[in-house]
Amino acid sequence: MDADRIVALVTAAGIELTDRRRNAKGDGWSLSFSSGATVEVGDDGSARVAGKGSKAVAKLLDMSHAPRGS
Amino acid sequence: MKRSYGLALFSSALALSTVASPPAFAAQPRDPPDGIAKIETVVVIFAENRAFDNLYGHFPGAEGIDKASKESLQQRDRDGSVLSELPPVWDGLTAKGVTPPVTQAMTEHLPNEPFTVNDPKGFNVPLSVVTHDLWHRFYQNQMQINGGKNDMFVAWADSGAMPMSNWDASKTDMWAIAQKYVLADHFFMGGFGGSFFNHQWLICACAPYYANADKSPAKPSIAVTDASGTALKIADNSPKSARDGIPKFVSDGNLTPDFYAVNTMQPPYQPSGNDPAPGGDRLLADPTKPTTLPPQTEPTIGDMLSLKHINWAWYSGAWQYTLDHGNKTPIPNFQYHHQPFNYYANYAPGTEARREHLRDAGLAGASFIQAIDDGALPQVSFYKPQGNLNEHSGYADIQAGDRHIADVVAHLEKSPQWPHMLVVVTYDENGGIWDHVAPPKGDRWGPGTRIPAIIISPFAKRGYVDHTPYDTTSILRFITERFELPVLHGIVVRDKAVAAHGEPPLGDLSGGLDLN
Repeated sequence: MDADRIVALVTAAGIELTDRRRNAKGDGWSLSFSSGATVEVGDDGSARVAGKGSKAVAKLLDMSHAPRGS
Repeated sequence: MKRSYGLALFSSALALSTVASPPAFAAQPRDPPDGIAKIETVVVIFAENRAFDNLYGHFPGAEGIDKASKESLQQRDRDGSVLSELPPVWDGLTAKGVTPPVTQAMTEHLPNEPFTVNDPKGFNVPLSVVTHDLWHRFYQNQMQINGGKNDMFVAWADSGAMPMSNWDASKTDMWAIAQKYVLADHFFMGGFGGSFFNHQWLICACAPYYANADKSPAKPSIAVTDASGTALKIADNSPKSARDGIPKFVSDGNLTPDFYAVNTMQPPYQPSGNDPAPGGDRLLADPTKPTTLPPQTEPTIGDMLSLKHINWAWYSGAWQYTLDHGNKTPIPNFQYHHQPFNYYANYAPGTEARREHLRDAGLAGASFIQAIDDGALPQVSFYKPQGNLNEHSGYADIQAGDRHIADVVAHLEKSPQWPHMLVVVTYDENGGIWDHVAPPKGDRWGPGTRIPAIIISPFAKRGYVDHTPYDTTSILRFITERFELPVLHGIVVRDKAVAAHGEPPLGDLSGGLDLN
């Protein structure tokens, strides 16, 4: 799943994208959302959800979430 | 451009000051309407993300869709040509998990005109269903309004045809309340864009500021605009036509190039979307996170009310629940950026002002309703429903919020304070949804798209449609006049800007009242 697809799916659910930037390693994107959830998206298609609101975002993306802070 | 820090210094001093004289910068309020003192209690209910035409476009006597010209109903593509048909709603009209869904394929080939979501001959989606959210952002809103023509809502959306959606809301409880009292049909959102910014306009009539943002973690969130300064710079790989996909921009950030925060940032204090810093104060959000806004110091309407010893409160649905248990979805789905005072140093954790003025409305507004029933509301109350009851696209439906707010109004009508009460029910912003009426030309920050507003009071005209031009700051105008407060700087600037454009002045809500 690429960053654009993740943004589309999450924002359609009323969870605003609040930040999007290349990660420190330069091998993917860091996405932040208004619920407090963050998604690390690798250029290889890998994705990891964390932060507040991660459960709802993971559900939207049909993936399990890192159990942190929600 | 550098910001003047005079106001910020005043704000800091305000917390320590008991002097009741107005600050030097403040203008004097305009003459209040006769009889305004009959209003002793003001209640503002702030719902989410509906344009006027989206809910009240067919309200009898209002300037609705029925009165729009054919030209104003048509949307244009990104090159300025009239679209031959609307693009589909990307990923479908209904929210994920809704059954039966209205898929993207089912929204292909819609004619270039508004469509009614709950039309029995169309999609027939009831008001109780959650639908696809839409971009509702500062620069996109200005690009969509397109100088007042309102013909680029689809072109600069992320949801295809969705901005052209509306609902037959004639059977809703709030429609009946609007018929009983006053529907204002020229009420515009105070600022362009989204909820974060328009909540700031409700309490401050100002744009929040991020000092030295270019040297902060938020630097990549500084937007890149085109030469106009009012539109985003379009990326080279952006689809040329709205029918080909969602537009792309060079940098669609939260901050203007001169560091004003215009799209969603997180509060610096808990409850915030950002956790505390590791090992840091548990009451704060991590200040190193790029989306944490530094504490704000601009004067707010709360500061002005406190200055004049007027009691007031911001009642937030599920506030204490979220502090105690964390947020839960889909209920209550607390929204951190809908709590505007939680961005201000004057209301930081541990302050007396926070304890006194930032109140828990309870789950489903239970504590707020109890205060209504007890006749214990302060002179000015703001009520923010919890997320699942706020009518926001994407995670809330219209029916649940409409019924909740109507229930709150029913309690208000029976309150011991009702005989001298003014209630304003409005929406923070349009939620990215099209409306056909051009906003008044104002200043750099707004007004934006037209939104519904209902004026409710024993002194409200009955069965009346008020055509007076208002915006969100009109609520502040009324409060300022009623309680003889110093005028917030942003209202002065807005009034001058509107006058400079030859527009009629924005009203103070008294057009909907009969105070004599």
